[in-house]
Amino acid sequence: MTLLATLLLILAATLGMPLFVALGMGGLLATAAQQLDSAILIVEMNRLATSPNLVAIPLFTLAGVTMAAGGAPQRLIRVFNAMFGWLPGGLAIVALTSCAFFTAFSGASGVTILALGGLLYPMLTSVGYGERFSLGLITSSGSIGLLFPPSLPILLYAIVAGVSIDRLFLAGLLPGVLLLVLLSIYSIYSGTHAKLQHHPFTWRGLGRALREGVWDLLMPVGVVAGIVSGTVTAGEAAACTAAYVLLLDAVIHRNITTARQIYTILKDTCVLVGSILIILGVAMGLTNLLIDAQIPMHLLATLQARIDSPLQFLLLLNLFLLVVGFMMDIFSAIVVVVPLILPLAKHYGVDPVHLGIIFLANLEIGYVHPPMGINLFLSSQRFNKPILQVFRATLPFLAIMLIWLLIITYIPVITLWWQ
Amino acid sequence: MLAALSLLTLLLLSLAQITARNLFHTGLPVADALTRYLVLYVAMLGAVIATEGDRHIKIDIATTLLPRLAKLLHRPFQILSGIACALLSRAAWHFWREEWQYAASGEQWIALLEIILPVGFALLAIHFLILGIGRERRKNPR
Repeated sequence: MTLLATLLLILAATLGMPLFVALGMGGLLATAAQQLDSAILIVEMNRLATSPNLVAIPLFTLAGVTMAAGGAPQRLIRVFNAMFGWLPGGLAIVALTSCAFFTAFSGASGVTILALGGLLYPMLTSVGYGERFSLGLITSSGSIGLLFPPSLPILLYAIVAGVSIDRLFLAGLLPGVLLLVLLSIYSIYSGTHAKLQHHPFTWRGLGRALREGVWDLLMPVGVVAGIVSGTVTAGEAAACTAAYVLLLDAVIHRNITTARQIYTILKDTCVLVGSILIILGVAMGLTNLLIDAQIPMHLLATLQARIDSPLQFLLLLNLFLLVVGFMMDIFSAIVVVVPLILPLAKHYGVDPVHLGIIFLANLEIGYVHPPMGINLFLSSQRFNKPILQVFRATLPFLAIMLIWLLIITYIPVITLWWQ
Repeated sequence: MLAALSLLTLLLLSLAQITARNLFHTGLPVADALTRYLVLYVAMLGAVIATEGDRHIKIDIATTLLPRLAKLLHRPFQILSGIACALLSRAAWHFWREEWQYAASGEQWIALLEIILPVGFALLAIHFLILGIGRERRKNPR
């Protein structure tokens, strides 16, 4: 009976029922089956309000939405173009860095493809990059900033797994840079083979671009320095960032001036935050029931019979998470899956911080992994290309990302060097 | 509107707290609890707006692979969601009644803030049910 109900709920969720409803119904059914008062679901949800770092989520989201509305994408592209545009494969590196930078703030990578891809794709093709390369680059760039602070998935993982945020921020830096470097090398390689127009490097051009964009560039520096040094908590850093971005776009760049614009920004933020946090709230009740029912313990027992080394466990985890990554969006995956695999990882001696980076890296790849990666569909829609063409275009990038995943999975030092 | 207002208050309160701590070396204990509960307000009210615009997070397999089936199931799922939210609202109401009854005398205002949980779920239920049963609404961009 319970099994049947669970299967029906999973089916309903895959057919398009809002995820939080499926989780909530799961919770209601589980309490009913165990003859518990359903109010305990709400107790867990209410516990959200005691988590001091949670404030960071709405405020960083506000900062990201404001940046998108205030013209930060254009400014970022201009700066990075002045810095790297003259290199062979330079514009591709520009695309990679500005997308990574922007994703770190906007979190949900779909936004990056829509906001930045639309600007970068025509730029890439106009200087002579092949259509396939450009398409693949933009599609896979949509998620590569996820490991950089202050990205929302990192925050959410920290909250769900109970790991300190500054440690995760530190841990994400090198793996994130490594991916950027790997993809840049590939871009330089392709760039030297294509006949490209170069635009020369000038100090004046750089200066002019910097004058506009320097305030955006300083932001992540401030956030990381503030949180890692312990001057501010994540929530306070988020409040400062949001206020800073609002001020920047309202007073200095004067892109956001009317009350109506600000209202739209606030409302959009609320929708994003609401749709993420309601899943978190409802899922907390359900996962607690699952843990009380010792589901992770049963899983562990089954695993132990077959797997004995941490390496095997990590390999299996990678496969499992890739599948999760192309079915679920990153926020729900963190909320639903992390509490279940955390005890397993602990048993195999995997550091929760390392686990977090692997987890996020997998989901990052899930965004561009056929058949269901959401970036593939977004980019096919945005650039009006058949989906199969997008699949093919992203393959080399996907291959590089998978190699990168193996590297950071099996060489924990890249993640944990600072310990 | 209320959601946007909560978010704005959240931002201002957090800033006020930082200023108070660093300039006057005093915490604002009331503001601290208030900001944490305001997150719940932003979340619940934001979820209500998300319902209205059909922007809840879903697993997108069906909508991309089987768009016709997804469209067919849209209304039944809305109604089902409405029922689930109504049940959750009932659970939240039970929870809230207890909290209110047993709140320590100095913390009753916190219990009062928690009223957003039953109210939020009730609003969600109403929105889902209206969307599921009501006539196709004309798109009015707001």
